[in-house]
Amino acid sequence: MKKSGAAIVIEALCRNGADTVFGYPGGAVLPIYDELYQNTHRINHVLCAHEQNAAHAADGYARVTGKPGVVIATSGPGATNLVTGIANAYLDSVPLVAITGNVAVPLLGRDSFQEVDITGITQEIVKHNFAVSDVKDLNGILDAAFKIASSGRPGPVLVDIPKSIQTDVCEESQYTLQELFFNDLPELDLTETLSLISSAERPLIYSGGGVVSAGASYELLTLAKRISAPVTFSMMGLTALPADEPLNLGMCGMHGTGSSANVFSKCDLVIALGVRFSDRATGNTAKYKEGKKIIHVDIDCAEINKNTSADVELCGNVKTVLQQLLQKLPRTAHPEWEKECAEAKKLDDLPMSDKLVPVTLLRKVASHCSADTVVATDVGQHQMWTMQYFPFRTPRTLLTSGGLGTMGFGLGAAIGGCIANDRKPTVLFTGDGSFGMSLHELATAVSQKLPLVIVIFNNGVLGMVRQWQTMFYQKHYSHTTLNRKTDFVALAKAFGADGRKITCLSELENALQKLPVDTPLVLDCQLDMDEFVLPMIPPGGSVKDLITQRN
Amino acid sequence: MERFIVELVVANHCGVLNRITSLYAKRKYNIDSLTVHETRDPTLSVMRIVSCGDSSIQQQMARQLRKLFDVKTVVLLNNSTL
Ligand SMILES: Cc1ncc(C[n+]2csc(CCOP(=O)(O)OP(=O)(O)O)c2C)c(N)n1
Ligand SMILES: [Mg+2]
Repeated sequence: MKKSGAAIVIEALCRNGADTVFGYPGGAVLPIYDELYQNTHRINHVLCAHEQNAAHAADGYARVTGKPGVVIATSGPGATNLVTGIANAYLDSVPLVAITGNVAVPLLGRDSFQEVDITGITQEIVKHNFAVSDVKDLNGILDAAFKIASSGRPGPVLVDIPKSIQTDVCEESQYTLQELFFNDLPELDLTETLSLISSAERPLIYSGGGVVSAGASYELLTLAKRISAPVTFSMMGLTALPADEPLNLGMCGMHGTGSSANVFSKCDLVIALGVRFSDRATGNTAKYKEGKKIIHVDIDCAEINKNTSADVELCGNVKTVLQQLLQKLPRTAHPEWEKECAEAKKLDDLPMSDKLVPVTLLRKVASHCSADTVVATDVGQHQMWTMQYFPFRTPRTLLTSGGLGTMGFGLGAAIGGCIANDRKPTVLFTGDGSFGMSLHELATAVSQKLPLVIVIFNNGVLGMVRQWQTMFYQKHYSHTTLNRKTDFVALAKAFGADGRKITCLSELENALQKLPVDTPLVLDCQLDMDEFVLPMIPPGGSVKDLITQRN
Repeated sequence: MERFIVELVVANHCGVLNRITSLYAKRKYNIDSLTVHETRDPTLSVMRIVSCGDSSIQQQMARQLRKLFDVKTVVLLNNSTL
């Protein structure tokens, strides 16, 4: 039986486990949307308000489930609206399959209505992309897209399908196979690793997104305990161990914990697992290595020796590497070091206040969450405070834009994450600036009846930029004071959501007494504009330059 | 800074040269000279790209190129291998 390209798309989605997809229709994807119309029993399509947020929703869905998120958009503006979402997934190594329509094959290359070269535009922000030129190739290409997105180091793949290919038909027997060539990972030799670990006196583990995506939390903790090594995290890796685990020192880097900086400055061996030594995590790379050895484990060989030189490189899946290592690694105790780290960790504890300030706000909301509550954030001070003060307990419960730092990521991600987590109550910590970039997506949260708790850190400013202006630009507050009169409570209601204004902790406690069931709840929390995110390693600095107090 | 060559076997279809050269551009490495030709197998081409860089740049470039799905093999040729 002959099948149309559009029908082949649906079959491929189902075969690859994509039961939920996010998107927005348009002229160049009409045939695919017609098939979706006839396949609602197999595929749940979530209509968003903007393609960028649809991409972020697919991204959030992927971060929670571990399987590729799928987003569908039309040609031209639909496709270009995906760009930020794709780049975001690329920089955070999130598996994403983006399907775009394009103009019919005879119209390609002629600047036709709503034609853009989306494979050209996205080339540098995808693992791979395909422009389909023959319906016979479509089936194989879609399978390859899912395979590429989720294998090795995950990432986004875009498939551009001209409208005429969606309506062209072919027999299954005519399908071509997309040959995929994956480089073999090198054989592991653990000799040097074992000797470096055994000669280290003050080992530290620096753990990242690779550990979360490989599901290697158990191996991580086993390693840490076996060699008495504390663990610090890149932002992408933060959820790998529960916050109350004694060896967990929290996030490292520019806005990392004081203990992570302190312990880092004293350690003699860094065991880096599934990380890429981003400048936000390392500070000045020239000073980073002083007096330390580095063992770097990553599935992407190109990450090793890119930003820092490693003394030992282990290219492979972190979980597999750790499993092999743990078979051979003897127990080594460093009681002095362990004590020193525990002392350092104690200094991170912040006294609770009875005022509505970032730390009390976050702890109060956390006290109403369960271990598996999905938490999304936007970008800015509120994001860093979330990393510092929210006690994450379960891997894959944090949706935050790390590599790209995309303001506006949060709401889309929360929508995708909530749907992925059986539509349980999901929290978004956002800023008044960031929320302004995607708040129209409230419409989707309402139409999907999602129990989102949207906590706006309403400080009236682009706080993170303002903080830099205070610290490094002589308080020249150039265009960071919002001077808006937005009434977020009224706005929430206008969208059909609930809203509450929060000026003190008891109002917050009241508002959280009953978590929403099927309606988003916006909490407009009034905060001071001059709160600082501290500690901070100034840009280009090292842990020795740590700023812990305002002067 | 040493002169080095990467020799690539790549898929022979439209857009592949673009992917390779834009990878160089993205990583901020200059290409000094470049040749491309089809092989006896018409689905494949061979590319030779000459540029300058120390050994860590050479290793980084080879590893980045290996990640492209249109690249089948990467051979690094420099003073020590030639
Ligand atoms: C799309 C985008 N534009 C600009 C920036 C630069 N930027 C980083 S943080 C920030 C301020 C965010 O303000 P808000 O959301 O209110 O958060 P706050 O820092 O006040 O908590 C800006 C403008 C960005 N990260 N993303
Ligand atoms: Mg703000």
